[in-house]
Amino acid sequence: MPYQELIKNFSRVRAYLRQFYVYGFRSRSEFDEKSARSYDDERRRVESWLREYVSARRTPEGKNIYISVDSRRRSRDPLYRVWKTKSFTDGDITLHFLIFDVLYTPTAALTVTGILLGIDERLSAFPSAKTFDESTLRKKLEEYVREGLIVKEKKGRAVFYRRAQGTPLPEADALAFFSEAAPCGVIGSFLEDKTDERPEHFLFKHHYITQTADSEILCRVFEAISDRRELISVSRHRESLARVLPLRVYISVQGGRQYLAAYDFDMKRVVFQRIDLIESVAAGPVCGEFETYRRKLDGLAPHIWGVSLSGRALEHVDFTIRYEDDEPHIPLRLEREKRCGTVERLNANESRFSAGLYDAGELIPWMRTFIGRITEYHFSSPKREERFREDLERMYAQYGIGGDEE
Amino acid sequence: MTFFSELYGAYYNAVAKILAAAVQSPVTKEDIRRIVRENAFAESGIEIESAIFARWQLLDERGGTPLRHVPTTPLTHLQKRWLKAVSLDPRLALFDAPFPELKGVEPLFQPEDICVFDRFTDGDPYGDETYIRIFRIMMSAVRERTPLYVEMLAPRTGARKMILLPLKLEYSEKDDKFRLLAADGRGEVTLNLARVTLCRPYDGAPVHFANPADFAGNREERNFVLELTEERNTLERVMLHFAHFRKEARRAENGRYLVRVFYERPDETELVIRVLSFGPTVTIREPDRFAGLVRERLLKQYKF
Repeated sequence: MPYQELIKNFSRVRAYLRQFYVYGFRSRSEFDEKSARSYDDERRRVESWLREYVSARRTPEGKNIYISVDSRRRSRDPLYRVWKTKSFTDGDITLHFLIFDVLYTPTAALTVTGILLGIDERLSAFPSAKTFDESTLRKKLEEYVREGLIVKEKKGRAVFYRRAQGTPLPEADALAFFSEAAPCGVIGSFLEDKTDERPEHFLFKHHYITQTADSEILCRVFEAISDRRELISVSRHRESLARVLPLRVYISVQGGRQYLAAYDFDMKRVVFQRIDLIESVAAGPVCGEFETYRRKLDGLAPHIWGVSLSGRALEHVDFTIRYEDDEPHIPLRLEREKRCGTVERLNANESRFSAGLYDAGELIPWMRTFIGRITEYHFSSPKREERFREDLERMYAQYGIGGDEE
Repeated sequence: MTFFSELYGAYYNAVAKILAAAVQSPVTKEDIRRIVRENAFAESGIEIESAIFARWQLLDERGGTPLRHVPTTPLTHLQKRWLKAVSLDPRLALFDAPFPELKGVEPLFQPEDICVFDRFTDGDPYGDETYIRIFRIMMSAVRERTPLYVEMLAPRTGARKMILLPLKLEYSEKDDKFRLLAADGRGEVTLNLARVTLCRPYDGAPVHFANPADFAGNREERNFVLELTEERNTLERVMLHFAHFRKEARRAENGRYLVRVFYERPDETELVIRVLSFGPTVTIREPDRFAGLVRERLLKQYKF
């Protein structure tokens, strides 16, 4: 098939986007899972959609394509563009604009025959006018009924179609803000496209756009939570299936990852799945036990630092930090970042953090951010404590610290 | 509810805008190219221009359209459900314009469906009336580019009074805080909204403000290079963790990778502790100055 700018299926471009944006050091020859031609097409598309953000670099392995975006300097997520690339047929686009021109107000309700007449009238001026049959038009109308664009009404035996009532859009700044700050923000961007207003009054710091490519999966997860419905999820890495009941979405604003907290019916426990690793989902039946399982998650939450339940028993961890009189922001930082832990002020210059966690390993990266201040630390797991100590030793060695000269 | 749909596509959007113009008066090929350039992709122009006439029959050869009305479409279920979800967000109180009612629409998600587990707990008070009033005054000043008189209380510098020209509002998802980016007489000023005690439009004698175009230099960009391996999945963790910065990654020898991360000078301390959080699986290769900042903390720790 010749190259086309638009695509039918999003999943392949999702994988490429991740490689180009998150990593950006693989050359053409390393995209081994797809053919070279496929790589060339996807690269050309990504370059066409995101031209000003795509760069290339020559390396001994070949040319590397990468996407570089400093999200702090942009009012809008440029990756939203990739969700606006769905292909369509000639008939789709002609019908789309003509249907809504015939049904131009919610009070205009017509049968399929009536709509067809209106379409034919409008196209009659063309020398070889397109014609549509009733079945094609009915199929399109039914599709739009499912999407909420068209309302179907029966009067006796006749079926009438009319456009759905209009909804005013929110004020432009509010729409611009939530298009970036709310989950599935790309939907807000679809709404912004309906307007001519594109205010750029906001900037976003610590703004991860990595998850933009996962928006559809996230949306399906939210739908399942809203419907209290089971999902079959297919994992990208293990190519495994899981039958789960989605309970909540866990979002990291410091790591850019999104997770699905769900009850796994096969493992018979609450699990966390990374949403970017979910290849696809399929909706299952409604589950009457949603509240029971969500309460189960709520019960576990005070002992989860992030998204891990790897241990069966609670591990205890505590550490003490020291700060100077002119560093009041340090104990404040401990307070605002403690999550499910407890902070105890020991004296004017020392505070102790403690927590009981199912996986104390999750806390270690945060604990390391206090390096230079930690005067004492204890883990109930000796292995964990040993690992923390060894890691510190390795870091000292890396930076030439140790020995008598220090 | 279809998510990946041509209904939300750049082509439908660009064509709607071309037709909206054509309903008023015939459009030229140059009009078409301009609208496509503004609303679609680099290679869309050729495709749309070649198809919109005979193939799609949405424009005739004179640039007129068979449409009789400016094209509009109602909102889809997906769009309404997302808007309904947004209507439940406490930050919506900051915006004073009316929001669509959406009676009978199920929200796509509710606040209890989401747990942002690593957000700082001292976020801005979105329900506080004074805060809301200050936000709205600032929002309006950013919109209109009009000066403000501001009083604030900062923990380190104490009370301050300023006349500022607001430029942008910056939101941090991690801090859950808004900051105002503004110009004063000398350069760029950043202030936390929650620390502002008084804010009103300034209508006094004319004041000189530094030119925002000159600020690029103030936001001095620096960078550091991390060397890392795939031990403990570090490569993926680093690439995701620093994804929101401009960065460049390349393979080095012996299964190692070098990642250059670009940042702004005021964020340096934050970057130092973020690097420390990765432990021994990453090392700063350059510059020596940044490596020195990491070493300084490690040395302090070593001495305990």
